[in-house]
Amino acid sequence: MQQLSFEHIFDIDIAIGARHVIGRGPFGRRVIAEVSGGTVDGPRIKGTIMPGTAGDWVLIADDGTFYLDVRLTIETDDGARIYMTYHGTRHGAPDVLARLDSGEEVDPSEYYFRTVPFFETGDERYAWMNRIVAVGLGDRTPRGPLYSVHQVL
Amino acid sequence: MQQVQTEFLLKVQFEVTEISDLGPTPTGNRRIARVTGGHFEGPKLKGTAVPGPGGDWLNFTPDGATRLDVRVTLKTDDDALIYMTYSGVRHGSPEVMARLAAGEEVDPSELYFRIAPRFETGAEKYEWLNRIVCIGTGHRLPTGPVYTIYQIL
Repeated sequence: MQQLSFEHIFDIDIAIGARHVIGRGPFGRRVIAEVSGGTVDGPRIKGTIMPGTAGDWVLIADDGTFYLDVRLTIETDDGARIYMTYHGTRHGAPDVLARLDSGEEVDPSEYYFRTVPFFETGDERYAWMNRIVAVGLGDRTPRGPLYSVHQVL
Repeated sequence: MQQVQTEFLLKVQFEVTEISDLGPTPTGNRRIARVTGGHFEGPKLKGTAVPGPGGDWLNFTPDGATRLDVRVTLKTDDDALIYMTYSGVRHGSPEVMARLAAGEEVDPSELYFRIAPRFETGAEKYEWLNRIVCIGTGHRLPTGPVYTIYQIL
């Protein structure tokens, strides 16, 4: 079996703005959460999240599981634009999810919050990001989600 | 920072017998590969790939990488159906990619071949699969791909 290894590429700290509750549709309860900004900081990339076209079209299942569907754009400190999309899930025991919902600080080891981001850019300096598979380990802080993103090597 | 921890989920081998080459389209060189069967095995589930609708809508993009877009249905040995989808990427040196294209077996260490699979099922026994985030490492055999898939813990 191949040995898996990972390399940390950045942390992304996301600010959530308005939440638009669409309600229960055929796929579950849909909430569209605006990403109003944020920062990206890592050894190979630093930047901010461009507001306006960033959001999470999250579906919430009856057991409280979040199915994330996120689109956002990073603008790096050297002027590149990187489109980032991810799916992922967040779930845990009902009492832990209730504490998260009420805005409490909950240790991320108490729940499962994982994503698989993909990247798209035309900037040669970051072209390597077009060709990687990565995972994000989430921490839902009271301010918004914070992910450490690791490339699958 | 949280560290990535993984647990082996399963190994899956798909049989790919027919590939339709659509040539250069606006998004890349599109090939559609039919998955005609296969089998999978792991500590918590094993079974076969249903030879119904299943395939990989491969895209050979101008940057030399191959992007995967797969839908298959798995059937466990206790008759649960699991819908599996994945995106992924495969790239290597032009020489390695040419050997792959010619149908040769290439050692997995010679290329980057990673996927991010997702699962969907109504079977209560496997319902946990709906909520996990996974990644996989690929190996392209002349008969089709083999993936070792890990759950991100």
